[in-house]
Amino acid sequence: MTSLGTSPTTLNDAADVVALLVLLSEFAMLRSSLSRSQVRLYAFQSLCVSILAGFVAATRHIVELYGLMGMSFLLKVIVVPLIIVRLVKEIRVDVTASHRIGVATMVLLAIVLSVFGVFVVGHLPVHSRSLPILPLALAAAVILVSFLLVIVRNDVVSQAIGFFSLENGVSVASLVLAAGLPLIVELAFLFDLLVAVVVFGLLMRVHHGRTGTLSTQALDRLRG
Amino acid sequence: MGAVLIAILVLPLAASVVCLKAPMRAAKSVSLTSGVATFGLALVLVSSHHVATALAGWLRADALSVVFLLAVSFLYGTTTVFAIGYMRPAEGLAEARYSRRFFAGLNLFAWAMAMAPIVNGLALLWVAIEVTTVVSALLVAIGDTDGAVEAAWKYVLLASMGLGIALLATVFMYYAGSTVLGGSYEIFYPKLLGAAPHLPPEIVRLSFGLAVLGFGTKMGLVPVHTWLPDAHSEAPTPVSALLSGALLTVSFYAILRFYQVSVRAIGPAFPRDVLLVFGLASLVLAALYLASQRDLKRLLAYSSVEHMGILAIGMSFSAPIAMIGVLLHVLAHAAAKSTAFFGAGNVIRKFGSKDLDRIRGGVGALPWSGPMFLLAVLALSAMPPFGIFRSEFLIVEGGLSIGATALSAVLVVFVTCAFLGLSWFASQTMVTPTPDSVVRSEVSVWMAGSMVIGLVALVVLGVHPPAQLSGLLERAAAELGAHT
Amino acid sequence: MAGIELAPAEIQALQDLTILVFAPLVSGAIAHLEGRLQARRGPRILQPYYDIAKLFRKETLVPDEASWFFLAGPVVAFACYLTVPLLIPVLTQYPLPLGYMGDILGGGFILSLAGFAVGLAALETGGAYAQLGSSRAMTFGALIEPSILFVTFTVALVTATDLPYFEAAAVRSSLGQAIDPAHLLAAVAFFLVVLNDTSRIPVETHASTLEFGMIDEARTLEHSGPAFALLKWGSAMKQLILYVILINVFAAPWGEAGSRQIGPVLLAIPAFIGKALGVGAIFAVIDSSFSKLRLFKITEFMAVAFLLAVLAVLVLFLGGR
Repeated sequence: MTSLGTSPTTLNDAADVVALLVLLSEFAMLRSSLSRSQVRLYAFQSLCVSILAGFVAATRHIVELYGLMGMSFLLKVIVVPLIIVRLVKEIRVDVTASHRIGVATMVLLAIVLSVFGVFVVGHLPVHSRSLPILPLALAAAVILVSFLLVIVRNDVVSQAIGFFSLENGVSVASLVLAAGLPLIVELAFLFDLLVAVVVFGLLMRVHHGRTGTLSTQALDRLRG
Repeated sequence: MGAVLIAILVLPLAASVVCLKAPMRAAKSVSLTSGVATFGLALVLVSSHHVATALAGWLRADALSVVFLLAVSFLYGTTTVFAIGYMRPAEGLAEARYSRRFFAGLNLFAWAMAMAPIVNGLALLWVAIEVTTVVSALLVAIGDTDGAVEAAWKYVLLASMGLGIALLATVFMYYAGSTVLGGSYEIFYPKLLGAAPHLPPEIVRLSFGLAVLGFGTKMGLVPVHTWLPDAHSEAPTPVSALLSGALLTVSFYAILRFYQVSVRAIGPAFPRDVLLVFGLASLVLAALYLASQRDLKRLLAYSSVEHMGILAIGMSFSAPIAMIGVLLHVLAHAAAKSTAFFGAGNVIRKFGSKDLDRIRGGVGALPWSGPMFLLAVLALSAMPPFGIFRSEFLIVEGGLSIGATALSAVLVVFVTCAFLGLSWFASQTMVTPTPDSVVRSEVSVWMAGSMVIGLVALVVLGVHPPAQLSGLLERAAAELGAHT
Repeated sequence: MAGIELAPAEIQALQDLTILVFAPLVSGAIAHLEGRLQARRGPRILQPYYDIAKLFRKETLVPDEASWFFLAGPVVAFACYLTVPLLIPVLTQYPLPLGYMGDILGGGFILSLAGFAVGLAALETGGAYAQLGSSRAMTFGALIEPSILFVTFTVALVTATDLPYFEAAAVRSSLGQAIDPAHLLAAVAFFLVVLNDTSRIPVETHASTLEFGMIDEARTLEHSGPAFALLKWGSAMKQLILYVILINVFAAPWGEAGSRQIGPVLLAIPAFIGKALGVGAIFAVIDSSFSKLRLFKITEFMAVAFLLAVLAVLVLFLGGR
């Protein structure tokens, strides 16, 4: 039985479970058909990421990470979902466009991608001081499944949420690998995310203004 | 020299803020001043042989940075000249609606692109490039046509996903560094390069691969280039010029920084293979797609993809001559592509359409910018005496010097393919007789004048690059590891 | 009561007897609780016993086209349901002699054999609804197989065998194991499997006999008399067997007898029944809270179960235990 992380303690197991919730919420995003539930799932996922940041802060005694945890909670769990929910309410479109392939097929594809990601990461010689190796593997799976989410869904809200969950996956990976990143840099990342959200929101609004829907099925004029 | 860096940090940002509130005339002159001044500051940095630092090391400009800063600032300057002529709200054009935001956005975009080469460290580099993505996405969408909206959404989604991968690459590289430098360290270049020989090889390999994939999305490498033709053709022309000439090169700069570390950590073999695969794919695909284009700006966009492929292939040769050729190509391509886009802007304004079937007799219709446009397109196809000929020659020479004869041959063949595509277009649209309905006149002095600057720069680069520039290029190549 | 030790054979017989006797009680309790939750009075808790007794007194009607298997099928199924309790930890922590006869896969195989017998007997009738139910049950049974397999793999990866006794021992060893992610995932996946196999919401509804949604219930439509009694009893036993695996292997393997003393062994019976009633209460609440899935959406449900089972294996591969 391979055991690449530190010796199992209750805190490590709890961190593993939270990381697992991040991946499971990603899968749930694949399935959900209401825009609002997608945003809620993203808020839940961000909450789990913040909790993981808290774990790292507790085990490594890095005080700055508590500040980061608070900022990321404020930003990703409250502000970003608020922005998107307001946009969706304004547009008054509730149900996202249908998927291109069936849910069961999507879940199977997502399972294959997750297994791939987990195996690739499992073979890396990574020893982390902050979290066990499992959250890194699950983060790789989250990143791959978020790509699937963007490819398979054809409406702008799902695609935007897919991108944001990609950032969540990278955040988890950075918690495992780079917990000591200087605080300035972490804040720059967060600020960047906020700006990206604003731009996404603007473009979604513009898109809706132009095409009247949130679906990307109309975006096929430019080819070749 | 540190003061120069701080000036570059402050100037375009200040210009952008001013343009938000200023009337049109003031915005234009402020932007022009800022653009020319930034280029002047970059020229100052060229002559210094020392590495300039500022802000306690957060800003740092070595030779490699200065090369790319030069390209970005040159484009900034010439684009502001062009934009003065392009944005003429008095004529009741569509651009009247968004002119104020346009100049603010233009300056901000240029600021972010100028920041990327001079910030110290991979993390801040990523932040700078992410800022360029969000700003340029807004600029692409500013025209608010169907095509612009579609292109902007595709661009921002794909580029952001790619940058997410690039962030993962940065995190992995940070982790690799932390095995040597301890859990918490500033990810400045000198430190990382110093620790490079001791970095764990598998992690560095993974990081480099992810970086090429991620930043390659922004650079326009096949197969993650799909946003590029749309964004470059639907954006307003000054923005297209900046995107093609400067943004792609800045993304290439990011890959080069990763290359710098990886070569010292795991040797040139793996980076060479990765760059070669992407570069060949880009070159081949772009050269083939060029022949079937119907849209003028899309044609130029695919030409950009082709040149990015050439850059990647040149880096994969990893011979000193090839590296100098690559860096010269960065400068020359910036000049040539911007001039070509400016010319395209002139032609489109004149004929009122981007469609190649509708444009006939460009040379006749535009007495100055027509022939200049033709020259720029030929320059893009590596015709002497322009700079691109010299740079591609150096790259092929480098390839032959390390024995990659087959690859060099392939490079030449596909460059010729691209030349055929471009020259077919040139013969169809530019040198045919002008229809009688078209008046023979220039659209704008500013728009034509910007092309002159670009062509002059190309001739200088091609015939006899100044000694200081050659010295700079050699120093930059040495920093990349050309002599190890 | 110390001192009287039971022979292993007696304990095994006691296990079988427990399942046999108490299965209808658990069924009745669940139905009663569901009724209460839905603001009705609910049937009597002992109602299933009365139903079975009544059915044994009734006459058997056999369709003209059916062969001998129509009556043999329920008997085969019942025999299977009597065999499986020999293999799984119902009352004891330690494996009983016959327990080595088959592992989880073996137990699963025997349960499938029972389902096959019932399904074949239903096909015998030539009635439309029975055949419909039979084919649906076969399909969904096949679809849920991979999840069961991966859950088995989880157990096997941990203990290097797939004897359920050792998995239970591992769970008992420390409380920290209870939140081990692989264990949690496997438990939830198996919970979903049990939902499917006992024909609960969201797969099928016990509350009505709407033919277009019936899967398992439809198979027994044509039976009557003692054969039907055996079928009802058998399905109650199947439910209790699956509860045994869920509780005594994954969720709460405490209260079983550690020795062969008669005291602990007899105490294990109410302990187990108590736990089974607790699980049954959870199922009753689920029944009253959710709605049945459309037939074609059941594949999504199974995909989720499969996902959780695969993740359990993956987590084990990486996390170690």
